[in-house]
Amino acid sequence: MDASSQHAASNIDPKLLARVVKGDHQAFSQLYDQSSTLLYTMALRILGNRDEAAELLQDVYLEVWRKVSRYDVGRGTPVAWLVTLTRSRAIDRLRARASRGLNKSTESLDSSLASQIADRGPNPFDAQADQEIKTLVGSALAALPQAQQHALELAYYEGLSHAEIAARLNQPLGTVKTRIKLGMSKLRESLRRCWEQGEHV
Amino acid sequence: MTHEELEEAVPLYAAGALERSERQALEAHLLSGCVSCHTALKEFQSVAAILPFGLNSMPAPRALKAKIMAARTPTAIAEDAQEKVDTKPSLEPGEWMNHLFPPESAAAPRSFGWALSFAALAILSIGGYLAWTSYTQNVTGTAVVQQLQAASDDQTKKVAALQQQLDDRERAIVQMKEELQQRTTDSTELKDQLIQREAELEDLKFQFAARGGVPANREPEDELAALLRVPNAKAVSLNGSDMAKQASGMLVYDARTKKAWLYAMNLPECPNGTTYQLWAINDKPVSVGTFHMDSGETAHLLVSRVPEFSKAKKFAVSLEPSGGRPTPTGPIYLVSQS
Repeated sequence: MDASSQHAASNIDPKLLARVVKGDHQAFSQLYDQSSTLLYTMALRILGNRDEAAELLQDVYLEVWRKVSRYDVGRGTPVAWLVTLTRSRAIDRLRARASRGLNKSTESLDSSLASQIADRGPNPFDAQADQEIKTLVGSALAALPQAQQHALELAYYEGLSHAEIAARLNQPLGTVKTRIKLGMSKLRESLRRCWEQGEHV
Repeated sequence: MTHEELEEAVPLYAAGALERSERQALEAHLLSGCVSCHTALKEFQSVAAILPFGLNSMPAPRALKAKIMAARTPTAIAEDAQEKVDTKPSLEPGEWMNHLFPPESAAAPRSFGWALSFAALAILSIGGYLAWTSYTQNVTGTAVVQQLQAASDDQTKKVAALQQQLDDRERAIVQMKEELQQRTTDSTELKDQLIQREAELEDLKFQFAARGGVPANREPEDELAALLRVPNAKAVSLNGSDMAKQASGMLVYDARTKKAWLYAMNLPECPNGTTYQLWAINDKPVSVGTFHMDSGETAHLLVSRVPEFSKAKKFAVSLEPSGGRPTPTGPIYLVSQS
């Protein structure tokens, strides 16, 4: 394993998690190094606030340190597990904030968030091994019609249900459902090539 | 919901776009063991989990790592000391993986102090208990030791008696063994005599035949068959070398009559002016005999009288110039295993 793939989020070794379970501090440190940029990026996209994203990441990593034994190789890759966990906790926070009647404090960050999605050039923060998958996902997303991409993002990053998306976009429910379904199916087709080459993430 | 509707809901589930009631219906369906929906879900969840790679990376604040590394340890201890039930009502979208492994109970960091006092109390009570038990043990200890001493003496006597009996039996067994040995020797001697007589008879037959008597010499195959019945005959199988992969051979050696039988099969025909030669190899190869494979012959039996070679480690057949050579010079065709 070369130096760059050691830091790739797409390349987390299940054995590393096994070591974390046993309380290996060095393994935990490495897990953080490999995954924190990806998880923080996603947390920031969902929460739209740097402090909250950092807080969320702390919660998630502490949860991993405690309940990482729940990770099971049969259920997906370590990074898929971490992404699922982080997204779910971030959406929880988003809902809790909404129920407290606070507005999403994203105005100041909106512009930088827009660039978060639009810019797909090489990023110095990414390990080289992640670049390939980033390019792949980026181009798969870009290949989707704008409406499908938008509906997917509202569901995935804002935690909205299809009914909520329909209301927000003022579109019929069936249309929204179809957009998400088609979007996911097309992504699956484009990414299948990557999986078949053994780069399953 | 029909199965078709449920199946259609799978990508929406993975994207986190289902209403709560729909989510629960699909989860129930998945738990009922629908393989096609489960397979589809795994794929769509892999798609969902890969989506954040499409974002433009933002590194986490530098100080965050140190903060998390530091925050980790006390929380972990508190969690070990006190379990707290997680009261999350239902599954969140995309939490299918967590659903299979329900969230572990997590402790709040503020319970740390409480946990410490609890631990201290536990240590105190364990210490008290240990002190009390060691005191009572000392009081009753002396009486118990005396009782044990008496019991031990009793047992020692019993063991001595048993030992005596055991020695008697042992002597009887040794006697029986000696008798058996005697009988075995007798029987072996008789067997040897029998074989000796058979060998003499065979010699006489040969001499008789050599002097022009009725051709009484048996076919070599008969001899081989007879040999295979002789106890202690040594059999070695030979395999064809790269020169003759199809070839094989069986060598039988009878130490009593000092005779060796080589039954060679599928060796190629000897070119003009050559012969096969069998070698017994101990430190150096010793010739056992030569034989010729003629055109069309597939099997050949070599019978040869040989010096003692029961110590030979290996046997081989090589192709040599006619008449054989004192040491092997040509290519090896057959070689013994091991």
